[in-house]
Amino acid sequence: MNEKINAIEIRGLTKSFRGLYALDRLDMTVPAGAIYGFIGENGSGKSTTEKLICGQLVPDKGKIRLFGKSYKNPGVRARVGALIENAGCFPNSTVYQNLMMQAINLNLKNRSEEMQRVLKIVRMENNAGLKFKKCSLGMKQRIGIAMALLGDPALLILDEPINGLDADGMRIMREILVDITQNSGCTVLISSHILGELEKIATHYGIIRQGKMIEELTAKEMESRSRVFTSVRAKDMQNTFLVLRHFFRNVRAEDGCVRVYDVDDTEQIAARLMENGIIPNELKKNKIGLEEYYTQLMSRKEAG
Amino acid sequence: MEQTRELTFKSPGFYERLKSMLGVDFYRLFHTPMFYIFLAIAAIIPAMVLSMTGMPNEQGETVKLYENTWNIIAADKPLYIINSMGDYANMNMVFIFGGIMVSIFIGHDYKSGYVKQLFTTHSLKADYMMSKSIAGAFSMMCMCITYLCGGLMAGVITGADMSVNIGSLLLAILGKMIMSLGWGSLYTLLNVVFRRYFGVSITLCFVIGTGIPVIGAAGLMGNNSGLNILLYGSSVNACLSSNIGTLLTCAAVSCCWALVYNIWGSYILSRCDVY
Repeated sequence: MNEKINAIEIRGLTKSFRGLYALDRLDMTVPAGAIYGFIGENGSGKSTTEKLICGQLVPDKGKIRLFGKSYKNPGVRARVGALIENAGCFPNSTVYQNLMMQAINLNLKNRSEEMQRVLKIVRMENNAGLKFKKCSLGMKQRIGIAMALLGDPALLILDEPINGLDADGMRIMREILVDITQNSGCTVLISSHILGELEKIATHYGIIRQGKMIEELTAKEMESRSRVFTSVRAKDMQNTFLVLRHFFRNVRAEDGCVRVYDVDDTEQIAARLMENGIIPNELKKNKIGLEEYYTQLMSRKEAG
Repeated sequence: MEQTRELTFKSPGFYERLKSMLGVDFYRLFHTPMFYIFLAIAAIIPAMVLSMTGMPNEQGETVKLYENTWNIIAADKPLYIINSMGDYANMNMVFIFGGIMVSIFIGHDYKSGYVKQLFTTHSLKADYMMSKSIAGAFSMMCMCITYLCGGLMAGVITGADMSVNIGSLLLAILGKMIMSLGWGSLYTLLNVVFRRYFGVSITLCFVIGTGIPVIGAAGLMGNNSGLNILLYGSSVNACLSSNIGTLLTCAAVSCCWALVYNIWGSYILSRCDVY
Protein backbone atom coordinates (compact mmCIF):
# COMPACT_ATOMS: atom_id res chain seq x y z
CA MET A 1 0.00 0.00 0.00
CA ASN A 2 1.38 3.36 -1.00
CA GLU A 3 1.61 5.37 2.21
CA LYS A 4 0.79 8.60 0.38
CA ILE A 5 -2.59 7.41 -0.85
CA ASN A 6 -5.58 9.40 0.33
CA ALA A 7 -8.64 7.65 1.65
CA ILE A 8 -10.80 10.56 0.52
CA GLU A 9 -9.93 13.14 -2.09
CA ILE A 10 -12.57 15.70 -2.97
CA ARG A 11 -12.10 18.45 -5.52
CA GLY A 12 -14.54 21.24 -6.38
CA LEU A 13 -17.54 19.47 -4.87
CA THR A 14 -20.73 21.47 -5.24
CA LYS A 15 -24.20 20.57 -4.08
CA SER A 16 -27.30 22.72 -4.00
CA PHE A 17 -30.81 22.13 -2.74
CA ARG A 18 -33.42 24.13 -4.65
CA GLY A 19 -30.92 26.82 -5.58
CA LEU A 20 -29.36 27.07 -2.12
CA TYR A 21 -25.74 25.98 -2.05
CA ALA A 22 -24.95 23.51 0.72
CA LEU A 23 -21.45 22.92 -0.65
CA ASP A 24 -19.54 25.36 -2.78
CA ARG A 25 -16.47 23.97 -4.58
CA LEU A 26 -15.32 22.04 -1.53
CA ASP A 27 -11.86 20.51 -1.49
CA MET A 28 -10.96 17.90 1.08
CA THR A 29 -8.12 15.45 1.62
CA VAL A 30 -8.22 12.66 4.17
CA PRO A 31 -5.03 10.56 4.32
CA ALA A 32 -5.45 6.79 4.67
CA GLY A 33 -5.35 5.63 8.28
CA ALA A 34 -6.27 9.03 9.71
CA ILE A 35 -8.95 9.91 12.22
CA TYR A 36 -10.23 13.03 10.51
CA GLY A 37 -12.23 15.39 12.70
CA PHE A 38 -14.70 17.24 10.50
CA ILE A 39 -15.76 20.44 12.22
CA GLY A 40 -18.26 23.12 11.38
CA GLU A 41 -21.34 24.85 12.69
CA ASN A 42 -24.86 23.57 12.04
CA GLY A 43 -25.74 23.80 8.36
CA SER A 44 -22.13 24.28 7.29
CA GLY A 45 -22.27 21.23 5.00
CA LYS A 46 -20.69 18.44 7.07
CA SER A 47 -23.53 15.95 6.72
CA THR A 48 -24.04 16.86 3.07
CA THR A 49 -20.37 16.11 2.38
CA GLU A 50 -20.62 12.79 4.20
CA LYS A 51 -23.79 11.83 2.36
CA LEU A 52 -22.16 12.68 -0.96
CA ILE A 53 -19.16 10.51 -0.11
CA CYS A 54 -21.57 7.69 0.79
CA GLY A 55 -23.41 8.05 -2.51
CA GLN A 56 -26.65 9.02 -0.80
CA LEU A 57 -26.75 12.38 -2.54
CA VAL A 58 -25.98 13.19 -6.17
CA PRO A 59 -23.41 16.00 -6.57
CA ASP A 60 -24.00 18.96 -8.90
CA LYS A 61 -20.30 19.21 -9.74
CA GLY A 62 -16.95 17.99 -8.52
CA LYS A 63 -14.95 14.82 -8.06
CA ILE A 64 -14.87 12.37 -5.19
CA ARG A 65 -12.20 9.69 -5.09
CA LEU A 66 -11.90 7.04 -2.43
CA PHE A 67 -8.53 5.29 -2.16
CA GLY A 68 -7.64 6.61 -5.60
CA LYS A 69 -10.76 5.17 -7.26
CA SER A 70 -14.11 6.65 -8.20
CA TYR A 71 -16.46 6.76 -5.22
CA LYS A 72 -19.02 4.86 -7.30
CA ASN A 73 -16.76 1.85 -7.70
CA PRO A 74 -18.63 -1.09 -6.06
CA GLY A 75 -15.34 -2.58 -4.87
CA VAL A 76 -14.53 0.56 -2.88
CA ARG A 77 -18.11 1.04 -1.74
CA ALA A 78 -18.16 -2.48 -0.29
CA ARG A 79 -15.45 -1.30 2.13
CA VAL A 80 -17.20 1.86 3.31
CA GLY A 81 -19.13 1.83 6.56
CA ALA A 82 -21.24 4.76 7.67
CA LEU A 83 -23.38 6.04 10.48
CA ILE A 84 -25.11 9.18 9.27
CA GLU A 85 -28.05 10.63 11.21
CA ASN A 86 -29.29 7.23 12.36
CA ALA A 87 -28.31 3.59 12.37
CA GLY A 88 -30.67 2.72 9.50
CA CYS A 89 -32.13 -0.26 11.33
CA PHE A 90 -35.62 -1.70 11.21
CA PRO A 91 -37.22 -0.88 14.58
CA ASN A 92 -39.27 -4.08 14.84
CA SER A 93 -36.35 -6.34 14.00
CA THR A 94 -33.83 -7.45 16.59
CA VAL A 95 -30.25 -6.21 16.73
CA TYR A 96 -29.17 -9.64 15.45
CA GLN A 97 -31.60 -9.52 12.50
CA ASN A 98 -30.51 -6.01 11.53
CA LEU A 99 -26.87 -7.00 11.61
CA MET A 100 -27.63 -10.19 9.70
CA MET A 101 -29.28 -8.19 6.90
CA GLN A 102 -26.22 -5.99 6.59
CA ALA A 103 -23.95 -9.05 6.68
CA ILE A 104 -25.97 -10.67 3.88
CA ASN A 105 -25.88 -7.44 1.90
CA LEU A 106 -22.10 -7.33 2.23
CA ASN A 107 -21.94 -10.99 1.19
CA LEU A 108 -19.83 -11.91 4.22
CA LYS A 109 -18.61 -15.47 4.49
CA ASN A 110 -18.57 -16.10 8.27
CA ARG A 111 -21.60 -14.05 9.17
CA SER A 112 -22.13 -15.26 12.74
CA GLU A 113 -18.47 -14.86 13.70
CA GLU A 114 -18.29 -11.44 12.07
CA MET A 115 -21.45 -10.31 13.85
CA GLN A 116 -20.13 -11.56 17.18
CA ARG A 117 -16.86 -9.71 16.51
CA VAL A 118 -18.50 -6.34 15.89
CA LEU A 119 -20.98 -6.79 18.74
CA LYS A 120 -18.04 -7.43 21.04
CA ILE A 121 -16.25 -4.32 19.78
CA VAL A 122 -19.27 -2.14 20.61
CA ARG A 123 -19.94 -4.01 23.88
CA MET A 124 -23.34 -5.23 22.76
CA GLU A 125 -22.74 -8.98 22.68
CA ASN A 126 -25.39 -9.62 25.34
CA ASN A 127 -28.10 -7.55 23.64
CA ALA A 128 -28.31 -9.17 20.22
CA GLY A 129 -31.83 -10.47 20.87
CA LEU A 130 -33.20 -7.04 21.77
CA LYS A 131 -35.59 -5.34 19.36
CA PHE A 132 -33.96 -2.22 17.93
CA LYS A 133 -36.84 0.02 19.04
CA LYS A 134 -36.30 -1.10 22.65
CA CYS A 135 -32.66 0.04 22.65
CA SER A 136 -31.51 3.24 24.35
CA LEU A 137 -30.00 6.09 22.33
CA GLY A 138 -26.48 5.08 23.31
CA MET A 139 -27.16 1.48 22.32
CA LYS A 140 -28.62 2.58 18.98
CA GLN A 141 -25.49 4.61 18.28
CA ARG A 142 -23.33 1.62 19.10
CA ILE A 143 -25.46 -0.65 16.90
CA GLY A 144 -24.99 1.89 14.12
CA ILE A 145 -21.24 1.65 14.62
CA ALA A 146 -21.48 -2.16 14.61
CA MET A 147 -23.40 -2.03 11.31
CA ALA A 148 -20.73 0.25 9.87
CA LEU A 149 -17.93 -2.02 11.12
CA LEU A 150 -19.27 -5.14 9.45
CA GLY A 151 -17.16 -6.40 6.57
CA ASP A 152 -13.86 -4.89 7.68
CA PRO A 153 -14.37 -1.36 6.32
CA ALA A 154 -11.40 0.58 5.04
CA LEU A 155 -13.28 3.85 5.54
CA LEU A 156 -15.66 4.66 8.33
CA ILE A 157 -17.86 7.76 8.12
CA LEU A 158 -19.49 8.82 11.36
CA ASP A 159 -21.82 11.78 11.67
CA GLU A 160 -22.15 13.00 15.24
CA PRO A 161 -21.71 9.52 16.75
CA ILE A 162 -21.25 10.83 20.29
CA ASN A 163 -24.31 13.06 20.37
CA GLY A 164 -26.60 12.20 23.23
CA LEU A 165 -24.14 9.83 24.85
CA ASP A 166 -23.30 10.02 28.53
CA ALA A 167 -19.70 10.31 29.75
CA ASP A 168 -19.27 6.55 29.85
CA GLY A 169 -20.78 6.16 26.38
CA MET A 170 -18.38 8.78 25.03
CA ARG A 171 -15.43 6.99 26.57
CA ILE A 172 -16.53 3.67 25.06
CA MET A 173 -17.00 5.28 21.64
CA ARG A 174 -13.56 6.89 21.87
CA GLU A 175 -11.94 3.59 22.77
CA ILE A 176 -13.74 1.84 19.90
CA LEU A 177 -12.53 4.37 17.33
CA VAL A 178 -8.94 4.37 18.51
CA ASP A 179 -9.01 0.58 18.65
CA ILE A 180 -10.25 0.11 15.08
CA THR A 181 -7.82 2.60 13.58
CA GLN A 182 -4.86 1.14 15.43
CA ASN A 183 -5.72 -2.51 14.90
CA SER A 184 -7.17 -2.51 11.39
CA GLY A 185 -5.74 0.63 9.81
CA CYS A 186 -9.26 1.88 9.09
CA THR A 187 -9.62 5.53 8.11
CA VAL A 188 -12.26 7.39 10.13
CA LEU A 189 -14.07 10.56 9.10
CA ILE A 190 -15.91 11.83 12.13
CA SER A 191 -17.97 14.98 12.55
CA SER A 192 -18.89 16.25 15.97
CA HIS A 193 -19.76 19.38 17.86
CA ILE A 194 -18.15 18.00 20.99
CA LEU A 195 -14.70 19.29 20.13
CA GLY A 196 -13.14 18.32 23.45
CA GLU A 197 -13.84 14.67 22.69
CA LEU A 198 -12.73 15.00 19.08
CA GLU A 199 -9.44 16.52 20.19
CA LYS A 200 -8.62 13.39 22.15
CA ILE A 201 -8.65 11.11 19.11
CA ALA A 202 -8.29 13.08 15.85
CA THR A 203 -5.06 12.99 13.88
CA HIS A 204 -6.31 15.47 11.26
CA TYR A 205 -8.88 18.24 11.19
CA GLY A 206 -10.98 19.85 8.52
CA ILE A 207 -12.91 23.00 9.30
CA ILE A 208 -15.85 23.82 7.06
CA ARG A 209 -17.88 27.00 6.92
CA GLN A 210 -20.79 27.84 4.64
CA GLY A 211 -20.03 24.91 2.37
CA LYS A 212 -16.34 25.72 1.95
CA MET A 213 -13.33 24.11 3.54
CA ILE A 214 -11.60 26.94 5.34
CA GLU A 215 -8.78 25.00 6.90
CA GLU A 216 -7.28 21.52 6.92
CA LEU A 217 -4.53 20.69 9.35
CA THR A 218 -2.93 17.80 11.16
CA ALA A 219 -3.10 17.37 14.92
CA LYS A 220 0.60 18.26 15.04
CA GLU A 221 0.01 21.50 13.15
CA MET A 222 -2.89 22.22 15.45
CA GLU A 223 -0.62 21.64 18.42
CA SER A 224 2.01 24.00 17.03
CA ARG A 225 -0.58 26.68 16.35
CA SER A 226 -2.10 26.38 19.78
CA ARG A 227 -1.14 29.38 21.83
CA VAL A 228 0.18 29.02 25.34
CA PHE A 229 -1.24 31.21 28.07
CA THR A 230 -0.95 31.53 31.81
CA SER A 231 -4.01 32.34 33.82
CA VAL A 232 -3.48 34.39 36.93
CA ARG A 233 -5.79 34.97 39.87
CA ALA A 234 -4.99 37.33 42.73
CA LYS A 235 -6.83 39.32 45.37
CA ASP A 236 -6.58 42.61 43.45
CA MET A 237 -7.41 41.61 39.91
CA GLN A 238 -7.46 45.14 38.53
CA ASN A 239 -3.97 45.89 39.72
CA THR A 240 -2.77 42.47 38.57
CA PHE A 241 -4.05 43.22 35.11
CA LEU A 242 -2.36 46.64 34.99
CA VAL A 243 0.97 45.28 36.22
CA LEU A 244 1.02 42.38 33.79
CA ARG A 245 -0.01 44.57 30.89
CA HIS A 246 2.92 46.80 31.65
CA PHE A 247 5.39 43.92 31.30
CA PHE A 248 3.83 41.65 28.70
CA ARG A 249 2.50 42.32 25.25
CA ASN A 250 -0.63 40.15 25.16
CA VAL A 251 -2.64 40.31 28.36
CA ARG A 252 -6.40 39.91 28.55
CA ALA A 253 -9.01 39.70 31.27
CA GLU A 254 -10.98 36.58 30.40
CA ASP A 255 -13.09 34.03 32.26
CA GLY A 256 -12.69 35.80 35.63
CA CYS A 257 -8.89 35.76 35.50
CA VAL A 258 -6.03 37.55 33.80
CA ARG A 259 -4.52 35.67 30.89
CA VAL A 260 -0.99 36.26 29.71
CA TYR A 261 -0.57 34.91 26.20
CA ASP A 262 2.54 33.60 24.43
CA VAL A 263 4.79 33.60 27.49
CA ASP A 264 6.30 30.20 28.13
CA ASP A 265 8.06 31.10 31.37
CA THR A 266 5.57 31.15 34.25
CA GLU A 267 8.30 32.03 36.76
CA GLN A 268 8.88 35.29 34.90
CA ILE A 269 5.22 36.23 35.39
CA ALA A 270 5.35 35.30 39.09
CA ALA A 271 8.53 37.35 39.55
CA ARG A 272 6.97 40.47 37.97
CA LEU A 273 3.93 40.17 40.20
CA MET A 274 6.00 39.72 43.36
CA GLU A 275 8.21 42.67 42.41
CA ASN A 276 5.05 44.80 42.42
CA GLY A 277 3.74 43.43 45.68
CA ILE A 278 1.09 41.13 44.25
CA ILE A 279 0.87 37.64 45.59
CA PRO A 280 -0.94 35.39 43.11
CA ASN A 281 -3.55 32.92 44.40
CA GLU A 282 -3.36 30.89 41.26
CA LEU A 283 -0.87 30.67 38.45
CA LYS A 284 -1.75 28.09 35.82
CA LYS A 285 -0.17 27.34 32.47
CA ASN A 286 -2.64 26.41 29.72
CA LYS A 287 -2.88 25.80 26.01
CA ILE A 288 -5.67 26.91 23.70
CA GLY A 289 -7.59 23.80 22.74
CA LEU A 290 -9.42 22.88 19.58
CA GLU A 291 -12.62 24.48 20.81
CA GLU A 292 -11.05 27.88 21.38
CA TYR A 293 -9.01 27.65 18.21
CA TYR A 294 -12.17 26.90 16.27
CA THR A 295 -14.11 29.73 17.95
CA GLN A 296 -11.34 32.22 17.22
CA LEU A 297 -11.06 31.06 13.61
CA MET A 298 -14.80 31.45 13.12
CA SER A 299 -14.76 34.91 14.70
CA ARG A 300 -11.95 35.96 12.36
CA LYS A 301 -13.86 34.65 9.36
CA GLU A 302 -17.02 36.43 10.42
CA ALA A 303 -15.15 39.67 10.96
CA GLY A 304 -13.20 39.50 7.76
CA MET B 1 0.43 8.05 8.49
CA GLU B 2 1.36 4.47 9.04
CA GLN B 3 -0.69 2.03 7.08
CA THR B 4 -0.49 -1.39 8.67
CA ARG B 5 -2.23 -3.57 6.11
CA GLU B 6 -2.76 -4.07 2.43
CA LEU B 7 -6.02 -2.65 1.14
CA THR B 8 -7.75 -4.62 -1.57
CA PHE B 9 -10.94 -3.63 -3.35
CA LYS B 10 -12.61 -6.53 -5.11
CA SER B 11 -15.57 -5.35 -7.15
CA PRO B 12 -18.55 -7.66 -6.77
CA GLY B 13 -20.14 -8.60 -10.10
CA PHE B 14 -23.78 -8.11 -11.05
CA TYR B 15 -24.94 -11.57 -9.93
CA GLU B 16 -23.05 -11.30 -6.66
CA ARG B 17 -24.63 -7.93 -5.91
CA LEU B 18 -28.11 -9.03 -6.91
CA LYS B 19 -27.76 -12.23 -4.91
CA SER B 20 -26.77 -10.33 -1.78
CA MET B 21 -29.57 -7.80 -2.14
CA LEU B 22 -32.12 -10.50 -2.82
CA GLY B 23 -30.75 -12.29 0.22
CA VAL B 24 -31.51 -9.24 2.35
CA ASP B 25 -35.02 -8.85 0.93
CA PHE B 26 -35.94 -12.50 1.37
CA TYR B 27 -34.42 -12.60 4.85
CA ARG B 28 -36.54 -9.59 5.77
CA LEU B 29 -39.61 -11.04 4.08
CA PHE B 30 -39.39 -14.31 6.00
CA HIS B 31 -38.49 -12.68 9.32
CA THR B 32 -41.29 -10.13 9.50
CA PRO B 33 -44.94 -10.94 10.26
CA MET B 34 -46.19 -8.74 7.41
CA PHE B 35 -45.51 -11.38 4.74
CA TYR B 36 -47.43 -14.09 6.61
CA ILE B 37 -50.28 -11.70 7.38
CA PHE B 38 -50.69 -10.96 3.67
CA LEU B 39 -50.53 -14.67 2.83
CA ALA B 40 -53.31 -15.24 5.33
CA ILE B 41 -55.35 -12.35 3.93
CA ALA B 42 -54.93 -13.78 0.43
CA ALA B 43 -56.31 -17.11 1.69
CA ILE B 44 -59.17 -15.70 3.75
CA ILE B 45 -60.57 -13.21 1.23
CA PRO B 46 -61.51 -15.71 -1.54
CA ALA B 47 -62.93 -18.07 1.05
CA MET B 48 -65.08 -15.25 2.43
CA VAL B 49 -66.15 -14.08 -1.03
CA LEU B 50 -67.05 -17.59 -2.16
CA SER B 51 -68.90 -18.69 0.93
CA MET B 52 -70.41 -15.56 2.36
CA THR B 53 -70.90 -12.90 -0.26
CA GLY B 54 -74.05 -12.71 -2.27
CA MET B 55 -76.66 -10.35 -3.51
CA PRO B 56 -80.39 -10.65 -3.04
CA ASN B 57 -82.40 -11.50 -6.18
CA GLU B 58 -85.85 -10.20 -7.10
CA GLN B 59 -87.44 -12.57 -4.61
CA GLY B 60 -85.14 -11.33 -1.90
CA GLU B 61 -83.18 -14.58 -1.74
CA THR B 62 -79.43 -14.37 -1.41
CA VAL B 63 -77.67 -15.63 -4.51
CA LYS B 64 -74.11 -16.80 -4.37
CA LEU B 65 -71.65 -14.67 -6.32
CA TYR B 66 -70.28 -17.74 -8.07
CA GLU B 67 -71.88 -21.02 -8.97
CA ASN B 68 -68.50 -22.44 -10.05
CA THR B 69 -65.66 -22.56 -7.51
CA TRP B 70 -63.03 -21.72 -10.13
CA ASN B 71 -64.58 -18.37 -10.95
CA ILE B 72 -62.93 -17.21 -7.75
CA ILE B 73 -59.63 -17.77 -9.62
CA ALA B 74 -60.49 -16.28 -13.01
CA ALA B 75 -63.42 -15.24 -15.17
CA ASP B 76 -64.78 -17.59 -17.85
CA LYS B 77 -63.48 -15.41 -20.66
CA PRO B 78 -61.21 -12.33 -20.97
CA LEU B 79 -63.08 -9.31 -19.73
CA TYR B 80 -61.91 -5.80 -20.31
CA ILE B 81 -65.05 -4.09 -19.13
CA ILE B 82 -66.23 -5.39 -15.82
CA ASN B 83 -69.92 -6.27 -15.93
CA SER B 84 -70.38 -7.60 -12.44
CA MET B 85 -68.48 -7.72 -9.21
CA GLY B 86 -68.26 -11.50 -9.55
CA ASP B 87 -66.36 -11.21 -12.83
CA TYR B 88 -63.90 -8.94 -11.17
CA ALA B 89 -63.35 -10.37 -7.70
CA ASN B 90 -60.99 -13.16 -8.70
CA MET B 91 -57.29 -13.88 -8.30
CA ASN B 92 -56.55 -10.38 -9.62
CA MET B 93 -57.27 -9.25 -6.05
CA VAL B 94 -53.81 -10.59 -5.20
CA PHE B 95 -52.41 -7.63 -7.11
CA ILE B 96 -54.23 -5.27 -4.74
CA PHE B 97 -52.82 -7.01 -1.67
CA GLY B 98 -49.43 -7.18 -3.37
CA GLY B 99 -49.46 -3.45 -4.07
CA ILE B 100 -50.13 -2.63 -0.44
CA MET B 101 -47.49 -5.09 0.73
CA VAL B 102 -44.81 -3.78 -1.64
CA SER B 103 -45.63 -0.23 -0.51
CA ILE B 104 -45.18 -1.13 3.14
CA PHE B 105 -42.03 -3.15 2.35
CA ILE B 106 -40.32 -0.33 0.45
CA GLY B 107 -41.79 2.37 2.71
CA HIS B 108 -40.02 0.76 5.69
CA ASP B 109 -36.73 0.88 3.79
CA TYR B 110 -37.00 4.65 3.57
CA LYS B 111 -38.65 5.27 6.93
CA SER B 112 -36.01 3.35 8.86
CA GLY B 113 -33.15 4.81 6.84
CA TYR B 114 -32.02 1.30 5.84
CA VAL B 115 -31.94 2.33 2.20
CA LYS B 116 -29.06 4.66 3.07
CA GLN B 117 -27.12 1.72 4.47
CA LEU B 118 -27.77 -0.18 1.24
CA PHE B 119 -26.59 2.57 -1.06
CA THR B 120 -23.57 3.36 1.09
CA THR B 121 -22.24 -0.12 0.34
CA HIS B 122 -21.77 -1.73 -3.08
CA SER B 123 -25.47 -1.89 -4.00
CA LEU B 124 -26.41 -0.06 -7.17
CA LYS B 125 -29.75 1.61 -7.79
CA ALA B 126 -30.60 -0.88 -10.53
CA ASP B 127 -29.93 -3.77 -8.14
CA TYR B 128 -32.37 -2.22 -5.69
CA MET B 129 -35.14 -1.91 -8.30
CA MET B 130 -34.60 -5.45 -9.51
CA SER B 131 -34.43 -6.98 -6.06
CA LYS B 132 -37.60 -5.26 -4.84
CA SER B 133 -39.45 -6.22 -8.02
CA ILE B 134 -38.45 -9.87 -7.61
CA ALA B 135 -39.28 -9.91 -3.88
CA GLY B 136 -42.65 -8.28 -4.61
CA ALA B 137 -43.34 -10.76 -7.41
CA PHE B 138 -42.39 -13.68 -5.18
CA SER B 139 -44.77 -12.43 -2.47
CA MET B 140 -47.63 -12.14 -4.96
CA MET B 141 -46.90 -15.62 -6.35
CA CYS B 142 -47.07 -17.00 -2.82
CA MET B 143 -50.33 -15.10 -2.31
CA CYS B 144 -51.68 -16.68 -5.52
CA ILE B 145 -51.02 -20.10 -3.99
CA THR B 146 -52.66 -19.29 -0.63
CA TYR B 147 -55.51 -17.62 -2.55
CA LEU B 148 -55.99 -20.86 -4.51
CA CYS B 149 -55.93 -22.89 -1.30
CA GLY B 150 -58.43 -20.57 0.40
CA GLY B 151 -60.77 -20.60 -2.60
CA LEU B 152 -60.51 -24.36 -3.02
CA MET B 153 -61.27 -25.06 0.64
CA ALA B 154 -64.26 -22.71 0.61
CA GLY B 155 -65.51 -24.34 -2.60
CA VAL B 156 -65.32 -27.78 -1.03
CA ILE B 157 -67.04 -26.60 2.15
CA THR B 158 -69.85 -24.74 0.36
CA GLY B 159 -70.28 -27.53 -2.17
CA ALA B 160 -70.01 -25.20 -5.18
CA ASP B 161 -69.60 -26.68 -8.67
CA MET B 162 -66.01 -27.82 -9.31
CA SER B 163 -66.19 -28.67 -13.01
CA VAL B 164 -63.38 -27.06 -15.00
CA ASN B 165 -60.92 -27.60 -17.81
CA ILE B 166 -57.86 -28.34 -15.67
CA GLY B 167 -55.39 -27.27 -18.36
CA SER B 168 -57.00 -23.87 -18.79
CA LEU B 169 -57.26 -23.43 -15.04
CA LEU B 170 -53.56 -24.15 -14.57
CA LEU B 171 -52.65 -21.83 -17.44
CA ALA B 172 -54.81 -19.08 -15.91
CA ILE B 173 -53.14 -19.49 -12.51
CA LEU B 174 -49.68 -19.60 -14.08
CA GLY B 175 -50.52 -16.56 -16.21
CA LYS B 176 -51.50 -14.55 -13.15
CA MET B 177 -48.44 -15.72 -11.24
CA ILE B 178 -46.18 -14.72 -14.14
CA MET B 179 -47.87 -11.30 -14.27
CA SER B 180 -46.72 -10.80 -10.65
CA LEU B 181 -43.29 -9.79 -11.93
CA GLY B 182 -44.79 -6.97 -14.01
CA TRP B 183 -46.97 -5.85 -11.13
CA GLY B 184 -44.07 -6.07 -8.66
CA SER B 185 -41.99 -3.83 -10.93
CA LEU B 186 -44.82 -1.33 -11.36
CA TYR B 187 -45.36 -1.09 -7.60
CA THR B 188 -41.62 -0.74 -6.99
CA LEU B 189 -41.49 2.10 -9.50
CA LEU B 190 -44.46 3.87 -7.88
CA ASN B 191 -42.83 3.58 -4.48
CA VAL B 192 -39.52 4.86 -5.77
CA VAL B 193 -41.18 7.84 -7.47
CA PHE B 194 -43.22 8.71 -4.37
CA ARG B 195 -40.61 7.51 -1.86
CA ARG B 196 -41.04 10.63 0.25
CA TYR B 197 -44.83 10.36 0.33
CA PHE B 198 -45.80 6.98 1.71
CA GLY B 199 -49.52 7.85 1.74
CA VAL B 200 -49.47 8.71 -1.97
CA SER B 201 -47.56 5.60 -2.99
CA ILE B 202 -49.74 3.17 -1.04
CA THR B 203 -52.95 4.81 -2.31
CA LEU B 204 -51.72 4.72 -5.90
CA CYS B 205 -50.70 1.07 -5.60
CA PHE B 206 -54.15 0.25 -4.23
CA VAL B 207 -56.03 2.22 -6.89
CA ILE B 208 -53.99 0.83 -9.77
CA GLY B 209 -54.19 -2.67 -8.30
CA THR B 210 -57.98 -2.52 -8.22
CA GLY B 211 -58.03 -1.95 -11.96
CA ILE B 212 -60.00 1.28 -11.63
CA PRO B 213 -57.84 3.03 -14.29
CA VAL B 214 -58.53 0.30 -16.86
CA ILE B 215 -62.20 0.20 -15.99
CA GLY B 216 -62.37 3.97 -16.39
CA ALA B 217 -60.37 3.96 -19.61
CA ALA B 218 -62.38 1.08 -21.05
CA GLY B 219 -65.57 2.86 -20.10
CA LEU B 220 -64.48 5.85 -22.14
CA MET B 221 -62.71 4.14 -25.01
CA GLY B 222 -64.52 0.83 -25.25
CA ASN B 223 -63.50 -2.79 -24.94
CA ASN B 224 -59.89 -2.96 -26.07
CA SER B 225 -57.27 -5.65 -25.46
CA GLY B 226 -54.43 -3.21 -26.24
CA LEU B 227 -55.70 -0.94 -23.49
CA ASN B 228 -55.86 -3.89 -21.14
CA ILE B 229 -52.25 -4.77 -21.84
CA LEU B 230 -51.12 -1.17 -21.44
CA LEU B 231 -53.00 -0.48 -18.23
CA TYR B 232 -53.61 -3.83 -16.62
CA GLY B 233 -50.94 -6.10 -18.00
CA SER B 234 -52.70 -9.06 -19.45
CA SER B 235 -54.01 -10.17 -16.10
CA VAL B 236 -57.58 -10.51 -17.32
CA ASN B 237 -56.44 -12.54 -20.33
CA ALA B 238 -55.57 -15.31 -17.92
CA CYS B 239 -59.08 -16.76 -17.70
CA LEU B 240 -60.75 -20.17 -17.61
CA SER B 241 -60.55 -20.39 -21.40
CA SER B 242 -56.79 -19.76 -21.44
CA ASN B 243 -54.49 -21.54 -23.81
CA ILE B 244 -50.74 -21.59 -24.21
CA GLY B 245 -50.94 -18.35 -26.20
CA THR B 246 -52.46 -16.64 -23.17
CA LEU B 247 -49.56 -17.79 -21.04
CA LEU B 248 -47.02 -16.54 -23.58
CA THR B 249 -48.82 -13.19 -23.79
CA CYS B 250 -48.73 -12.90 -19.99
CA ALA B 251 -45.02 -13.78 -19.93
CA ALA B 252 -44.17 -11.30 -22.70
CA VAL B 253 -46.20 -8.46 -21.17
CA SER B 254 -44.86 -9.18 -17.68
CA CYS B 255 -41.24 -9.12 -18.92
CA CYS B 256 -41.84 -5.91 -20.89
CA TRP B 257 -43.45 -4.25 -17.90
CA ALA B 258 -40.62 -5.40 -15.62
CA LEU B 259 -37.96 -4.16 -18.04
CA VAL B 260 -39.55 -0.76 -18.64
CA TYR B 261 -40.36 -0.09 -14.99
CA ASN B 262 -36.96 -1.27 -13.78
CA ILE B 263 -35.08 0.94 -16.25
CA TRP B 264 -37.36 3.86 -15.42
CA GLY B 265 -36.98 3.37 -11.66
CA SER B 266 -33.20 2.91 -11.86
CA TYR B 267 -32.91 6.11 -13.88
CA ILE B 268 -34.97 8.06 -11.34
CA LEU B 269 -32.98 6.67 -8.40
CA SER B 270 -29.63 7.39 -10.02
CA ARG B 271 -30.61 11.00 -10.71
CA CYS B 272 -32.13 11.72 -7.30
CA ASP B 273 -30.90 11.98 -3.74
CA VAL B 274 -31.72 9.19 -1.33
CA TYR B 275 -33.97 10.40 1.47
